[in-house]
Amino acid sequence: MCTPAQLQTIARPGEEETKTIARALMRSVSRRSVLAGALAFSVAPLVSRVPAFAAAGMDFAEVAPGVFVHQGRYELQSPQNRGDMANASFIVGDDAIAVIDTLGSAKVGADLLAGIRAITDKPIRYVINTHMHPDHVLGNGPFKADGTAFVGHHKLARGLAARAETYLASSKDMLGEDAFAGSEIMLPTLSVQDRTTLDLGGRELVLEAQSVAHTDNDLIVTDTKTGTIFLGDLLFSGHVPTLDGSLRGWLSLIDQLERHAPARVVPGHGPHAMQLPAALGDEKRYWSTVAGDVRRLIAEGQTLSEATKTAGQSERGKWAMFDQYHVRNVTAAFAELEWE
Amino acid sequence: MFNHSSRSIFSIAAGAVAALLALSLPAFADDDDAWPSLQKEIYGTRPIIENDGTVLIDAPERAEDPAVVPITIRVPPSVKGPLKSMALIIDKNPAPVAANITFGSAAGDGGGERRMATRVRIDTYSYVRAVIETEDGALHMVKTFVKASGGCSAPAPKDADSESAGLGKMQVRSFDPALPSTPLREAVIMIKHPNTNGMQMDPISRGYVPARFIKSIEVKRGDDLVFRAKTGISIAANPHFRFTYQNANDNALSVTAIDTEPTTFIGASGQVAAVSQ
Repeated sequence: MCTPAQLQTIARPGEEETKTIARALMRSVSRRSVLAGALAFSVAPLVSRVPAFAAAGMDFAEVAPGVFVHQGRYELQSPQNRGDMANASFIVGDDAIAVIDTLGSAKVGADLLAGIRAITDKPIRYVINTHMHPDHVLGNGPFKADGTAFVGHHKLARGLAARAETYLASSKDMLGEDAFAGSEIMLPTLSVQDRTTLDLGGRELVLEAQSVAHTDNDLIVTDTKTGTIFLGDLLFSGHVPTLDGSLRGWLSLIDQLERHAPARVVPGHGPHAMQLPAALGDEKRYWSTVAGDVRRLIAEGQTLSEATKTAGQSERGKWAMFDQYHVRNVTAAFAELEWE
Repeated sequence: MFNHSSRSIFSIAAGAVAALLALSLPAFADDDDAWPSLQKEIYGTRPIIENDGTVLIDAPERAEDPAVVPITIRVPPSVKGPLKSMALIIDKNPAPVAANITFGSAAGDGGGERRMATRVRIDTYSYVRAVIETEDGALHMVKTFVKASGGCSAPAPKDADSESAGLGKMQVRSFDPALPSTPLREAVIMIKHPNTNGMQMDPISRGYVPARFIKSIEVKRGDDLVFRAKTGISIAANPHFRFTYQNANDNALSVTAIDTEPTTFIGASGQVAAVSQ
């Protein structure tokens, strides 16, 4: 048997080859961004007339008093978007602020920080990551400071550590050296076992660790003062949802969330703010369709490869990034549901 | 069939292949450089007939999830007689031989399309090839190119806790053919097993999770062997095999799988509706 070190050497693709792959991916992105843009336009934000702020190249909408949301693009990571393809938010208390997700590179994370600083100079007491995906965590680095805690689900550290190498390598490939420079994986310094309350001074955030859904480390953040719930990637709108956890878990969580009536929810990908239960409608329809099609194909004795060609195809055209993620979603759904 | 220690090919590529992998970059993405040395390693100087229609392979052109790439190997109805063996090889994987399968008397000797489907990890853009050995001892090969990257180093399962909880659970299903008297029927074997390949990082120790994978699977119909497979780390987590075998009154299957610990897992299908003959 060979040693892990040897395996590592063998497993790592050569730089030239990864560049080739990255170039191929970039080409496909630029082709598809036209479609993504068109779809993004058709998805109207459900909360309109929000004050907008643009500072340091970073746009925010104040969706509720003291609640600022930046909307990322519906794209894959690229040198052009520098990892700015998810939503990032911050909440301002009397004494301090909390940041929720930091986007997908150190550079764009630094822009986020500069954008926040253009609005408030209060100390950043918490940086909360809603889950482990690179487009939400790779911007953490620039927020490192005395007195800043990095907060996540109790399984976030394990999830990130197991994937650190892969995430960094693939992000570097996709972003290119320039946009990737300085990006690092930071493990949380404060873990949420079940439920934790954070105090920003006259304003409390409630953090709740979820069971497996989008990933196995999804965290929901509630700003009790304004009734704003940050769902992270438990809510996609416009951008096709992606599955890296459990389809059954996610659908059952959607059922629970539908019973809530907060003032607004903030998706991980989608408009700045939306309203329940309508906000969950498209996502629920997508996953119910995928689950229904896949279950039927399994019952008919069909194979995974057949399922990737037909399951959920009625959703084509309804989402940005469908071509990039849908077949992968079906694969994950099939591998999960065939064990029912 | 292997002129070398087959163990080394299943568990990790021989040094020559590793060196070749390193040297082959940055060649064209669809280069075929890895094969000559692999062929020598696996089959020595035996001649191999390529693309004569004896064996066909289906794989996605681009693998959306490189850790779960469905592959189907097919032997068309025009091919008669029993098959001796079948190998599934992924040229550029660290352990190129994903599976080497020896068929027994219950595998069926034609009368329809014979199939073997599984799911593999594909680490980088690579040819995937199937080689079958017919009754006369001749080797027949077909290959297809798959664009995938990162399948072998793909990290932990999506739901790490539930994966380790169900280890060894097995599902064996035999499907009734549309026509009861058809010569072949189809079955599926699913084994809950992480099939760790030594390339996934352990978050706690920051070292690599030791390889633990299914290394052999034996499938029997009564006392008759359907097939015996030697499997390697290129097989995806939760190993999955779907295959045809001889249709007969006694169609229930028993399966014995052994991993590298070694731990033995057993499973069986129920007797499905009997064939009226």
